[in-house]
Amino acid sequence: MTHTLILSAILFATGLVTVIIKRNAIMVLIGIELMLNAANLNLIVFSRNNPSLSGQFLALFVIVVAVCEAAVGLAIVLRVYKYYQTSVPDQVHELKD
Amino acid sequence: MANLSTSEILLGLVLTLPLISAIVSFLIPARYGWVSSLTAPVLLLVCTILSFILFFTSEALHVTASWFSIGTTEINFSLLLDAASRLMILVVSTVSFLVHLYSTGYMGYDTKITRYFGMLGLFTFSMMGIVLASQLILTFVFWELMGFSSYMLIGHWMEKPAAAKAAQKAFLFNRIGDAFMLIGILITWIHPAGSPDTFWQTTGVLCIFAGVVGKSAQLPLSFWLPDAMEGPTPVSALLHAATMVAAGVFLLIRINPLLTDTALTVIAITGISTALFGAVSALNQFDIKKILAYSTLSQLGLMITAIGIGAKDAALLHLFTHAFFKAGLFLAAGSVIHALSHQLNDQKKSDVQDIRNLGGLRKKLPVTFIVFCIAGASLAGLPMLSGFLSKDSILTAAWNLSIPSAQFIFTGLILIVSFVTVLYTFRLIRFVFFGNESQTTVHESPWVMRIPMIVCAVASGWFIVSVNPIHVSGWFANSFTGAETSLIASGLSAVTVLVAFIAGVLFYWRQPSPQSNSILQNSFGIDSFYQRTIGLAIVRLASAAEATDKRVLDGFLHFIAYTQVSVAHGIAWFDRYIVDGIVDTGARLVKSAGSLTRSFQGGRIQLYIFWAVAGLIIFLFFVLI
Amino acid sequence: MNLTEVALYAFEILAGAAALAILFVRNVFHAALLLIVCLTSLAGVFVIYNAEFIAVTQILVYAGGVLVLIIFGVMLSSRITGKPLLVSNQYLLPASFIGVLSTVIFIKLFSQQHFYQHPGAIPGNRISQTGIILMSDYVLPFEIAGILLLIALLGAAVIASSFNPKSNNGK
Repeated sequence: MTHTLILSAILFATGLVTVIIKRNAIMVLIGIELMLNAANLNLIVFSRNNPSLSGQFLALFVIVVAVCEAAVGLAIVLRVYKYYQTSVPDQVHELKD
Repeated sequence: MANLSTSEILLGLVLTLPLISAIVSFLIPARYGWVSSLTAPVLLLVCTILSFILFFTSEALHVTASWFSIGTTEINFSLLLDAASRLMILVVSTVSFLVHLYSTGYMGYDTKITRYFGMLGLFTFSMMGIVLASQLILTFVFWELMGFSSYMLIGHWMEKPAAAKAAQKAFLFNRIGDAFMLIGILITWIHPAGSPDTFWQTTGVLCIFAGVVGKSAQLPLSFWLPDAMEGPTPVSALLHAATMVAAGVFLLIRINPLLTDTALTVIAITGISTALFGAVSALNQFDIKKILAYSTLSQLGLMITAIGIGAKDAALLHLFTHAFFKAGLFLAAGSVIHALSHQLNDQKKSDVQDIRNLGGLRKKLPVTFIVFCIAGASLAGLPMLSGFLSKDSILTAAWNLSIPSAQFIFTGLILIVSFVTVLYTFRLIRFVFFGNESQTTVHESPWVMRIPMIVCAVASGWFIVSVNPIHVSGWFANSFTGAETSLIASGLSAVTVLVAFIAGVLFYWRQPSPQSNSILQNSFGIDSFYQRTIGLAIVRLASAAEATDKRVLDGFLHFIAYTQVSVAHGIAWFDRYIVDGIVDTGARLVKSAGSLTRSFQGGRIQLYIFWAVAGLIIFLFFVLI
Repeated sequence: MNLTEVALYAFEILAGAAALAILFVRNVFHAALLLIVCLTSLAGVFVIYNAEFIAVTQILVYAGGVLVLIIFGVMLSSRITGKPLLVSNQYLLPASFIGVLSTVIFIKLFSQQHFYQHPGAIPGNRISQTGIILMSDYVLPFEIAGILLLIALLGAAVIASSFNPKSNNGK
């Protein structure tokens, strides 16, 4: 099962790097999905050794929240894209000052 | 202070009254200048009376007070009142008072009268100081003070270029002597009398004698004295007859114990050559005051000779008598000038002092004539007068010399001097008071001028020196135990005078106007020789020094300046780039730190995430591993 | 090595490769497709680890929901410019450094620990048990998750719509 944990580490790192380096909001969302799935993978792996199944349920709720996040996030992306005519997060400087 | 004796108080008053007079004169504003011509003579009269009292009552006094100390050497402020200085303060105060009184008439309308009387007072004070000081450094202080006041007095009419030049000349000649004198004082201090080192003793004494040469106008520093006649005539009477030039002689009398044999020889030779030179020069002058000035040179030379041949009392006696009759002669000459100065514009005569312009004044100025005759006869050494006695005592001292050659040389030379003295005196009187009357309206001087003249004439009599008219003895002579006259010397002197008188009558009486040899008139050309050699050399030296100054010193200064400027540039560079650089670097560091932290707040979401994760990883790195 | 392990390795390699490929592709559309591959492969891994219910949910929700959303998003963005959405990269060096570093740290952490099996754990299919627990013990979170989904979908619709309540001429 160690190799699966290694896979989850790789997935998490990949998602993280994607979030940072990609100059596109949709790609950032994709990175977030990757990281969430890395967490889910860990939860599933560890729940095999646990009789209470709570790890599986947590993974389930994570998936639900991820869907919500993806839906709202994409809506925001579209809205920002219409408003600023860009989908590059760093070009949206409204947080500054 | 309570235990001061009466004599000491009197001494202090006599010393300080002239100074008080000077201060009072300086304090009087120029508009009320006439006040100073009241206060100054009155103060000097008090001073004279006090010195008379001191002369007749006081014992020898020695007042000493601590002055200052150099290292362990204590310098005392000490005054000595012995026989010689008692006599001298009498002479100084009396002549000074007479001159003060005379000046109120002579200088009556002068605009700078307060300065005149102030300087006269200061001069009298310094002369008193020289007379009373028993300490060479103190003497030197007064000596310099006197040099300064004489400079001011000679140059009193400084708007006249000749007077200003004469004052400068007198000051410069005196400075040469004074420089030597200071050196001599220091040498004498290190090698005091009685020390075995005769060479240094002689050197020191001769250096001091150089100062005397300057002040008493001996050869070779004589030539300032005739020029100094540019000053007011009362000043000439006081400074250049009675006191200032006599100060040198008096100083020699004071330092007599220090004199070595070599020094005495030098002094005697200097004195006799000056006496001859002065007498011969006086015979060839036209200016009435210059004749008297050269005569003074000659008489001072005689006094110096007397000291040189060891007869200091004879020198003092001659100093005493000379003070009175020469003052009388100067005052009478001043009276003549004063009487004729009103004629100057009418007669178109260039110079009232020139004896070629004078003549026949004996009826117009009877008092002046009589005074001039008496004082002149005393100068010439006619019997029954004081000059005869004092000159005889010098002659006697020369006659009594132990070395035969020196005896004959000095006696002969002194006789020649007195012979010439009679001639120039006769020439002067002949051309001033006899002969053609060239002046029409002249009037006798006022009483304030006549009285001092008469007093001086009276003081030229034999009786103030001695009871016996042809031999020094009696009440006054107690002060001069060493001065004596011998019958042979008196006889020689009388014969010389008589022969000279006849020669003068024969030679001058028929001469219509005074003659002169131009070389002799110009002091054998020595003065112009000085001008040509020393003056030129000094001018050359000065221009060489100027060139050196410009090239070397200025170059050096410029070099230093440039060096400093470049050093300053270096410092400026250091300041700008190192000091300022440190500050700027600090500022830049702060600024970049600011912009670094600012860059975290740039509103870039992905960068926020990056840093957040980086921090998290660092946290994990340290906590979990 | 039995068939199950081979399948596990295959799924894992496929998922990792797809995830890494997302890093390197520049087209957002390709990235979305690669994400489907990755998530589906993970679903396979979940099955092998006895989490069939989660695997099914994964396929349904992600492949059916999220991916459709993303692809719609991509298509809506590129509709304006009319060309495929190409993405450039930024902060390459520090980001890759951080990525490598975090990978190393996680691998090191995981390899340090020794994971042991709980004594009461029953290997095998537990899907019926999952259903029972979900409807009994976890019914409140389940319902809340449903409400959350509803609200999120409503919110997304409101945000994404161009309807402006202030101006009546909105599309």
